Amino acid sequence: MSLASLKRQGRELGTLGGLLALGLLLTALTPHFLTVSNLLNVMEQTSINAVIAVGMTFVILSGGIDLSVGSLVALSGVVMASALHAGAPIPVALLAGLLTGAFCGLVNGSLVTLGRLPPFIATLGMMSVARGAALLFTDGRPVSGFDASFRSLATGRVLLVPVPVLITLAVYAVAHLVLTRTRFGRYVYAIGGNEEASRLSGVPVRFHKTMVYALSGLVSGLAAAVLTARLNSAQPIAGMMYELDAIAATVIGGTSLLGGQGRVSGTLIGALIMGVLRNGLNLLGISSFLQQVVIGLVIVGAVLFDSLLKTGERR
Amino acid sequence: MRFRCRTAVGLAALLALGACQRGAPPATAKPRVALVLKTLNSPFFIDMQKGATAAAEKQGLDLVVQAAEREVDVDKQMQIIENLVQTGVKALLVTPSGSREVVPAIAKANAAGIPVVILDTKVDPAAAAEAGIKTVTFVGSDNLEGGRLAGQQMVQVTGGRAKVAVLEGIPGHETGDSRLKGFKEAIAKSPGIAIVASQPANWERDLGFNVFQNMLQAHPEIDAVFACNDMMALGAVEAIAVAGKLGRIKVIGFDAVDDARKAIASGAMVASVAQFPGEMGRVAVESAARILKNETVPDDQRVRIELVTAATLAPPAAGAARP
Amino acid sequence: MRGIRKSFPGVVALDGVSLEVRAGEVHVLLGENGAGKSTLMKILSGALAKDDGEILLGGEPVSIPGPREAHERGIRIIYQELNLVPHLSVAENIALGREPGRLGWVDRRAQDHEARQRLGRLGVEIDPRAPVGELGVARQQMVEVAKALEGEPRIIVMDEPTSALTTTEIHELFATIERLTARGVAVVYISHRMEEVTRIGHRVTVLRDGRHVTTRAISEVTVAELVKLMAGREVTEHFPRRRTPPGEEVLRAEGLSRAGVLHDVSFTLRRGEVLGVAGLMGAGRTELARVLAGADRPDAGRVLVQGRPLAARGPKDAIERGLALLPEDRKTQGLVLGLSVRANVALPSLPRLAKLGVVDEAGESELAQRQTDDLRIRTTGLAQLVGQLSGGNQQKVVLGKWLAADVDVLLMDEPTRGIDVAAKVEIYELMNRLTAQGKAILMISSELPEVLGMSDRILVLARGRVAAELQARGATQEQVLAAALGQAS
Repeated sequence: MSLASLKRQGRELGTLGGLLALGLLLTALTPHFLTVSNLLNVMEQTSINAVIAVGMTFVILSGGIDLSVGSLVALSGVVMASALHAGAPIPVALLAGLLTGAFCGLVNGSLVTLGRLPPFIATLGMMSVARGAALLFTDGRPVSGFDASFRSLATGRVLLVPVPVLITLAVYAVAHLVLTRTRFGRYVYAIGGNEEASRLSGVPVRFHKTMVYALSGLVSGLAAAVLTARLNSAQPIAGMMYELDAIAATVIGGTSLLGGQGRVSGTLIGALIMGVLRNGLNLLGISSFLQQVVIGLVIVGAVLFDSLLKTGERR
Repeated sequence: MRFRCRTAVGLAALLALGACQRGAPPATAKPRVALVLKTLNSPFFIDMQKGATAAAEKQGLDLVVQAAEREVDVDKQMQIIENLVQTGVKALLVTPSGSREVVPAIAKANAAGIPVVILDTKVDPAAAAEAGIKTVTFVGSDNLEGGRLAGQQMVQVTGGRAKVAVLEGIPGHETGDSRLKGFKEAIAKSPGIAIVASQPANWERDLGFNVFQNMLQAHPEIDAVFACNDMMALGAVEAIAVAGKLGRIKVIGFDAVDDARKAIASGAMVASVAQFPGEMGRVAVESAARILKNETVPDDQRVRIELVTAATLAPPAAGAARP
Repeated sequence: MRGIRKSFPGVVALDGVSLEVRAGEVHVLLGENGAGKSTLMKILSGALAKDDGEILLGGEPVSIPGPREAHERGIRIIYQELNLVPHLSVAENIALGREPGRLGWVDRRAQDHEARQRLGRLGVEIDPRAPVGELGVARQQMVEVAKALEGEPRIIVMDEPTSALTTTEIHELFATIERLTARGVAVVYISHRMEEVTRIGHRVTVLRDGRHVTTRAISEVTVAELVKLMAGREVTEHFPRRRTPPGEEVLRAEGLSRAGVLHDVSFTLRRGEVLGVAGLMGAGRTELARVLAGADRPDAGRVLVQGRPLAARGPKDAIERGLALLPEDRKTQGLVLGLSVRANVALPSLPRLAKLGVVDEAGESELAQRQTDDLRIRTTGLAQLVGQLSGGNQQKVVLGKWLAADVDVLLMDEPTRGIDVAAKVEIYELMNRLTAQGKAILMISSELPEVLGMSDRILVLARGRVAAELQARGATQEQVLAAALGQAS
C-alpha cells in the first residue's frame, strides 16, 4: 500500500474513529444509547440526510455545490403526495417525485454548464424557485394521509431493519461502486480535480457535470419519498436547511470543498456522526441550544483536523 | 494494516463497555417525563416550560425539556420524540409542530407503551383516527373562542365598519385556523366589516412586517389588522409606524406577550387575546402525574383565555393577569 | 547555511547541505528537479522548518521560524509564479502589507513616491499607478523585485526568473541584478538555462539528490562539466535526434485563422516527422496547438487528418481522430494532480476500458503499467498521486496517457520546460522512438537549440502568421530568430 493511500485511509479511519469515540462516550454516559433499537433508530433518522448527502458528495467532488436540495425535497414530496392523492399507483407517484427532483437537478446542471453560472448562484436560484413552486402547488398546505403500503417505505421492517436504512445502504453501495468503478465516477473526480485538463483529455465535461446535478436532484426526490412516508405528510416547507446538513455531512466525511477529493463512505460516516450526536444529546436531555453549539463545533473541528493533517504533511 | 487492528480493538472495547453499562441503574429515582416543545425561541414556549418545570418539582417528577431548532421542522421533532422513546420516559408531553405530521411519532410512543399528553396544538382527528393512535388528554386554549373574542373586540373598536387585513400563521396549523375561524364567525354579524387581504406570515415578526407593508401598498384603505399571533401583530405595528399611520390602524393580536402588552398600553395595539402557556405546562404535568398514579384525567382540558385591552391593563400592575 | 537536513514522509529532501553566499555576488544554485534547491530556499525564507543544521547570517547563528522573521532579517524570495494582485496598482503591490500612513489611512503620495524611487533604483521606468495586470510578465517581475527591495535586503532569492521572459527582457533583468549586487546585495539564482548561468553567475553550487556536490567559481567550470555534476553521469549528446525518412501525410492545416492570434496558417505534417514550431512570445504558437487539438475553434480554415477534414467541435473529436495535446502547463491543463498515475494515464482511454460504464480495473492497471515501464516513469506505484512526481515524470505521464490512447499525432507545447537536463534527454529519446514507430510530432519550443536539434522541419511564426518554413538540417539560430522577428531571411 502506498504512502498516499495509507494517508487517505488514515483520514477516513480518523472520521470512523471519531464516530466510534462518540459512541463510546455516549455508551458510558447513558444506558439507552447502545441498544439495538436505539442504533436502528439513529440509522433510520440519519437516512434522509445521508441520502441527500450522497448527491451533495457527487456535486462537491465535481467542484460544485448544490444549495437547492432542501427545496427539491419539498417539491418532490408534494408532487409525489399529490399524485398519490389523485389516485396514481405508488410506483407512478414515486417516479413522478423522483423525476421532479432529477429534472430540477438537470436545470441546475444546465445553468452551470450551458449558462456558465457559478453553481452557488444557479442552485441558490433553484432553492427559491423550487420552494415557491412547492408552496404554489399546494397553496401552502401540507398534503397528508397515505395508505399503509406507501408508508411502508418508512415504517416497514425487513428482518428487523427499517426500510429507510436499507434504502440508504443500497444508495451508498451503488454510489460507492459508481465512484470507484465506473467511467462516470472517474470523470467526476477528474473534473473536480482539474476541469481544464479533463476537457483537454477528451472528457465530456459539460455532460458529466450536468448529470451530477441531476443525480443530486434524483436522490433528493428519493429522500422526499422516505420523508413523506415517515411523516405521513408532504409539507411544502419541509427540508429547510437540509442543504446545510448535507454539506456538513459531506465535509465531516472528508470531502474537500475544492473538489476532486473524497469518498461516499466518508460522507456516510459524517452523516452518522451528526445523527448520533443529535440522538445522544437528546438521550442525555441536553438543552437544545447547547446542541446547536456542539454540532457547530463538531463541523469546524472535523475540518480543522483535516487541515492540520494536511499542514502536517507539508511541514 | 495496523490501523485496522486498532479500530477492531476499539470496537471490542466499546462493545464490552456497552455490555457493562447495560446493567447500571438509571441516574435518578424520580420518574422521568419529557416535554417536547415546538421551539424554545419564543416567550410563549418559555412560559410553558417555566410552568411545567415548577409543577414537575411539586409533583416529584424529573422533567426533560427538548425542542427542535426551528418551529417548522417536523422531522426534527419526530426525531426528538423517537430518541426520548428510546430513553424509556414515563410520559411524553408534546406540542405538535404539525397537526398531522406528529401522528407517526405518537404511534411510536404508543407502541412503546408511553402515555402522551398533547399541549397547545390539537392533533388532526382524522389522521389520528386513521393511524389508530391514542393520546391521554389535550391541554390547550380554546382558540376558536379566542378568535371569537378578538372578532367581537374588532367589531366594538371599529364601530362595525372596517377594512381588515389578516395575518395568518403557517398554513395547515390547527391553532391559526381555529383562531381565524372564530374571528370570522364573530365579524360575520357585522356586514360593515370586510376582510380585504389575508396572507400567511408564518408566525414571524419580520415576515409580519414585510407582508403587512406589502398589503398596505395594495390596499391603502386598510384600517384594522387581525394577526393570529402577537409576533406578526408587532411586525405589523412596526410597518404601520413606518407608514406614519400609528394609532389610525387598529391592531388586534393573540397571545398577549410582554411586548404586545406594552404596545397596548402605548396605544399602538388595541387588544390581544391572552393565553396562559404557563398554566398549560402546569396542567399537562399534573395530568402526567395523575396518569402515573393510574388516575383518570379528562380528555380535553381547556385553559382560561382572556381579552387584554388598555382597560384591563390599567388598574393593576402589568403582569397581574399572568400566572 | 550549514548541515541543513530535512525529510518528508518517505523521502530525505536535504541530507546535510551547506551553502555559503557572499555579499554582492550572484550565487547560482543548480540541480535537477528534486535535487533539493527549492526545499533549501524555502528553509532559508522561513516557508519550511528545517529538521537539523544551522543558518548563519553575517557570521551569527539565527533562527528563522517563519517568513516574517526571514523578511526582518533581509531575506527576500521571488517565486517562479509571481505573487502580485492584478487589480491593484504597481505602487499598491509594492507597498502591500506595509502601506505608509497612519490610523488605517494610506498615504498615497508617499506610496507612489516610494514605488517610483525603488523602480528608479532598478533602472526601470514603470508608472506606479498602472494596474499590475496590464503590465507584461517582465515588468511584473520588476515589480516583484522592487517589492523585495523593502527595507534593507541582504539576500534575494530568484527562482527561475527568466522562464517567461523574452531575450530583451532577460537583458533588462540582468542589468537589474547587476545593480543590486553592486549595492552589496547577494543574489541566489536558480535556473536550468546554462547560458544564463555562465553569463550572470559568479559562483555556482550544485546539489544532487539532497546532497551538496560542489561549489566553484563559474570561470573555473564548463557547461559540460556542470551538466555532468548535476546528472551524476556523462550526458553526452544534448539533442540526440535520429531522423527517419518521413512517411505519408497525417495532418494538414489549411488557412487556419482565429481573430487576433492566428492568420492564414498552413502546413503539413508526415508520419515519422518532427515539425518544430518557433517564434517569440505571443507569436501564436500555443494558440495554433490549441486550435489543432480542438480546444479552441478556428474562425476560418480547416484541419485535415489523413486527408479527411476534422470536425473540431471539441477536444473529444480531435482525440478520436488521433490528435493529442501535451499542454505547455502540465499542472493546470495536462494532469489531474489529485488522481493516481493509473487514473491519469487511463483518462482518455476510459471509453475503451469501460464496459457498460464500469471500468475494467485489471485492463486499466495493465495499460498504465505498460506505459510506466515503457517510458520509465519513476513512481512508488501506479496508485501514487501524480502531484507527487517530479516535473520530468509528470511530463512522461502526460505522454503516456496519449500513447495509451494510441494517437498518431502529438502536439507538444514546450515539452521540456521546467525539466532537468537528464530528463530532457529522456524525453528526446522518446520522441525518436515515437517517430521511428511512425507517429508524427509537432513540437513548440522557445529554446532555439532544442528546435534546431530535434526538428526535421521548422515552422517559424511571427504575429500569428507563418514567417518561414525551414529544413532544420543546416538552419542556424540566426536564421530562425530573424524570421521570428519578422525580418526577411
